[in-house]
Amino acid sequence: MGDRPLADDELVARAQHGDTDAYGTLVKEHQTIAFRTAYLVTGSAADAEDAVQDAFVKAYRALGRFRAGAPFRPWLLAIVANEARNRRRSAGRRERLALRAAEDPLSGGAVPSPEAALLESEQRHELLAAVNDLREDDRLALSCRYFLGLSEEETAATLGWRRGTVKSRTSRALERLRERMEVEA
Amino acid sequence: MTELERALVSLGGELAFPEAPDVSAAVLRRVAEPAPRPGRNRRALVLAFAVLAVAVGAAMAVPQARTAILEFFRLRGATVERVETLPRVPPASENALGLGRPLPGARTDVKIPEVLIPTELGGPDATYASEEPYGLQLTLVYEPGEGVPESPYTGVGILVSEFVGEGATRYVEKLADLATRVERLQVGPYPALWLEGGPHFVIFEQEGRVFQDEGRLAGNTLLVERNDVLVRIEGEIDRERAIEIAESLE
Repeated sequence: MGDRPLADDELVARAQHGDTDAYGTLVKEHQTIAFRTAYLVTGSAADAEDAVQDAFVKAYRALGRFRAGAPFRPWLLAIVANEARNRRRSAGRRERLALRAAEDPLSGGAVPSPEAALLESEQRHELLAAVNDLREDDRLALSCRYFLGLSEEETAATLGWRRGTVKSRTSRALERLRERMEVEA
Repeated sequence: MTELERALVSLGGELAFPEAPDVSAAVLRRVAEPAPRPGRNRRALVLAFAVLAVAVGAAMAVPQARTAILEFFRLRGATVERVETLPRVPPASENALGLGRPLPGARTDVKIPEVLIPTELGGPDATYASEEPYGLQLTLVYEPGEGVPESPYTGVGILVSEFVGEGATRYVEKLADLATRVERLQVGPYPALWLEGGPHFVIFEQEGRVFQDEGRLAGNTLLVERNDVLVRIEGEIDRERAIEIAESLE
């Protein structure tokens, strides 16, 4: 493949011609975001892994219908989210998002004092609890936009919503979070 | 970006996501295997039975739909079931129509084997496509206008949906209560079903998987099986008008 990593569209073009090595590269490049997307939907690591694996297989078999020049990631994530939703329905449960046990200080060079760190930690837990308590559409909108860093277009494709819906749900969810945080403050 | 948004981005970096497993080897092993492709007739038959079983399961999954299936009608890409009571209607949401992503312009540049446009209606006001491994759903949206009232179920005038796939493998399931009349028709050479008289419930399933979260109520609907394309015309229109529209597809 040469020294330069191939771009998605080149890898897709090769995979469309049966180059499974190229597809393997695509899988490796996107499996973390795919897994996190599936986990946000299913709330289960096991279900997310199954969803991701099935989604990659289905995506490979659907490559013939992939439009040349279109971005691969949102197309893939839409398939992943679909697979994840199917599993979430059957499982009927969802683990809540949690913070890492060993929490790093917030961004910025200065190390906060123990009191400040405790306060920040409490605030982060409260914020996460508020996100977890949101209705599902709101939680998914915020999670895709801010936790996964997806653009509005990518979020719309992933969740199967219109872009305007992403915008309005994100705005609504942020407002609810603000209200919740103000109540708890 | 507001302070709250920045806090959420920061929070995202601290979430305890489970470690993403490396699925590449398993995926490549599976894609190296031949895709399951039974013969079309056999596949259709198998799926038909599977769909019936799935429909029973789906009905059981919705408490208020835990009711006997009294009768069913089937096209290759769709099953219409008459049940004692309709499932509970979920809260309305913009996504409930499940149309997929909007395509720019009234026409579509999506590569599908056959794009059918009803000349009776002309070019659509909007076009949506949902391109998935299961196949492709293309929906033409016509806004309310003269002779086309707004549907209380869709909020638009007429929806013309086309389901394209291997043997129309994207199935449309409908649960119609006793208020809905179901009639078998021929639209030209094609078998069709006409649903009229009462709202019915729509869900989308395939091979045991529900892949649209929210079912919804639907109004008068004509389903036409055109070879591998299932066409679905929905709106507050009568049977004759629906047939005219279906016959004008080209």
